[in-house]
Amino acid sequence: MIPYSYALREISRRKSRTLSNVAGFAIGIAALVTLVMAARGWEACTAGPLRALGADMIFIYSAPISPTPGSGCYIALHLFTYPFDISITKGLSEVPGVERVVPVLMHRIRAVTLCGIDPAETVTNVILPSDVIEGRYLTPDDRGVALVDREYAAQYGLTVGSTVTYQRDFEVVGIVKAKAMSIIQATIYANLPDAQEVVKAPGQINVALIRVEDPRKVPLISEAITRSWPRSTVITASDIATVTTGVINIGEETAWNISLALAAIAILFGVKSQLGAVVERTREIGLLKAIGWSNADIMNQIVIESSLQGLIGGILGCVAGYAASLYVLSTIGGEIGGALQFVNVDPLLLIIGLIIAVLSGVAAGIYPALKAARLAPAEALRAL
Amino acid sequence: MKNLIEMLNVSKVYYRKGVEVIKALDNVNLQVAEGEFVTILGPSGSGKTTLLNMLGALDRPTSGKVILDGSEISKLSEAELVKLRRQKVGFIFQQYNLIPTLSAIENVDVALAPTGVPKRERLERARELLNLVGLGKRMDHLPSELSGGEQQRVAIARAFANEPKILLMDEPTGVLDTKTGREIMEIIRRANKERGKTVVAVTHAGYVRGYSDRLLFMRDGKLYEREPSELGNQFEE
Repeated sequence: MIPYSYALREISRRKSRTLSNVAGFAIGIAALVTLVMAARGWEACTAGPLRALGADMIFIYSAPISPTPGSGCYIALHLFTYPFDISITKGLSEVPGVERVVPVLMHRIRAVTLCGIDPAETVTNVILPSDVIEGRYLTPDDRGVALVDREYAAQYGLTVGSTVTYQRDFEVVGIVKAKAMSIIQATIYANLPDAQEVVKAPGQINVALIRVEDPRKVPLISEAITRSWPRSTVITASDIATVTTGVINIGEETAWNISLALAAIAILFGVKSQLGAVVERTREIGLLKAIGWSNADIMNQIVIESSLQGLIGGILGCVAGYAASLYVLSTIGGEIGGALQFVNVDPLLLIIGLIIAVLSGVAAGIYPALKAARLAPAEALRAL
Repeated sequence: MKNLIEMLNVSKVYYRKGVEVIKALDNVNLQVAEGEFVTILGPSGSGKTTLLNMLGALDRPTSGKVILDGSEISKLSEAELVKLRRQKVGFIFQQYNLIPTLSAIENVDVALAPTGVPKRERLERARELLNLVGLGKRMDHLPSELSGGEQQRVAIARAFANEPKILLMDEPTGVLDTKTGREIMEIIRRANKERGKTVVAVTHAGYVRGYSDRLLFMRDGKLYEREPSELGNQFEE
């Protein structure tokens, strides 16, 4: 068993070598954590808002001004919209690649938004059964009942069994908390026929949530839809991305590749530095052999020293990466409150970073360790 | 008494690009009995260190046989050589060769670490040895905080760590003043007399000869039983 104290003292003795090695590993790991978290933050701010609805795109007819001035407006994503006939959803569902089309009617009077939904849709919808925090979800047969947003309920003292009014009274059957990153949120959720009746738009909706079979084909499907319904607007994740700024979107895969390239550079510098250390310690290695250390013992010593540098670099890299990630995540998507509300720094990523750093340290130590182990003891002892 | 060390017609030649450059050992024959204290005197470059490296299984001869405690080193595998160096040989060098970042006790422990002995036992043994060489109160000092004599005592404790049968000393008093050098030689002599260690010391310090059972002389890679008259005035007294 090689004493770890020896390895620790050796790396502290060679301060400049240790500092450069540790810095290399730390930069690599900090970059890994920061870039991956930035990519995830970006993803959360772009695809995330749609994914929260279980959708890949939103179909609307946007309007320059409210089409029904004075009696509220049809609204979606803070845009005025025209209502359209629900039969369009059938046409949309027939577009190749479309898996499901879910109708929604959203109407706002002053600061209150009523959202008519089809409660049979429990995968893609504006509000889902999992969003209920008190009471129950809607059923397709419900009439005259509603779900109320948690904040609105708290503001007006509404509980399950209370009455909420939007042109008419609804009995509150559930309190809901919409997903933070959801792009469509309302105050009151009712069954679609109730909402159509209240806003006097029978058979009409103003939003269609579209889920596709293969998300990679979203651009093609979006193009096909706008070709078939020329005045419509199809909102996809990339449209959301155009209003989300903060850092360049590099994607998680690219982030990993950049980080692994940095780790490889750190390993190369580590190898060079460790080789230098072996040359400096030639006589010491000769001594260790003279007093009975085997080649394996010598290799262990060098690899342990190198992996300790990797560990220290990894810890520093994780701390720096964590801090940088918090900053970057609060910057990305500042227009929608920052990505930090959707994603947290992933502890698993920090652990993976640490493991990569230690493995990089081991990798950087292997070749110099082999060189050290191969030194002929008598020759090594002669070294100045 | 049986021979613990035997060198039979040993030569060591260093080549460069296939051409003989130096004949460091030239047909050397040497027998050292168990418990004997042999000192080899000779000027710098005479081949003393090469001879010691052969005896410590740190190098192999170009020709001839080196037999340590019945094992011919040329026939041993690398693993067997490591075991032999660890168990049977203790080295003491002129420049002490202590690891500068480790304390006295840790420097002794370094020799015990690869043996698989639990750390507590290793440190206990290292303490015992440092007490034996009179360094009981300076165990936690770094080499840079110790005098030359004290550093050499640590090196002696390290050489004793695995209870080797053979102690090989390369200019053990080379950088010490005569008084300190004599103190070091007294410790070695006691180990030889009281613990039965077989000692081979190479030196060009003349006063070391007084501690030996037998004196040998080296010049130009050859070993002489008697002092060649022309070398006599080269040894310090």
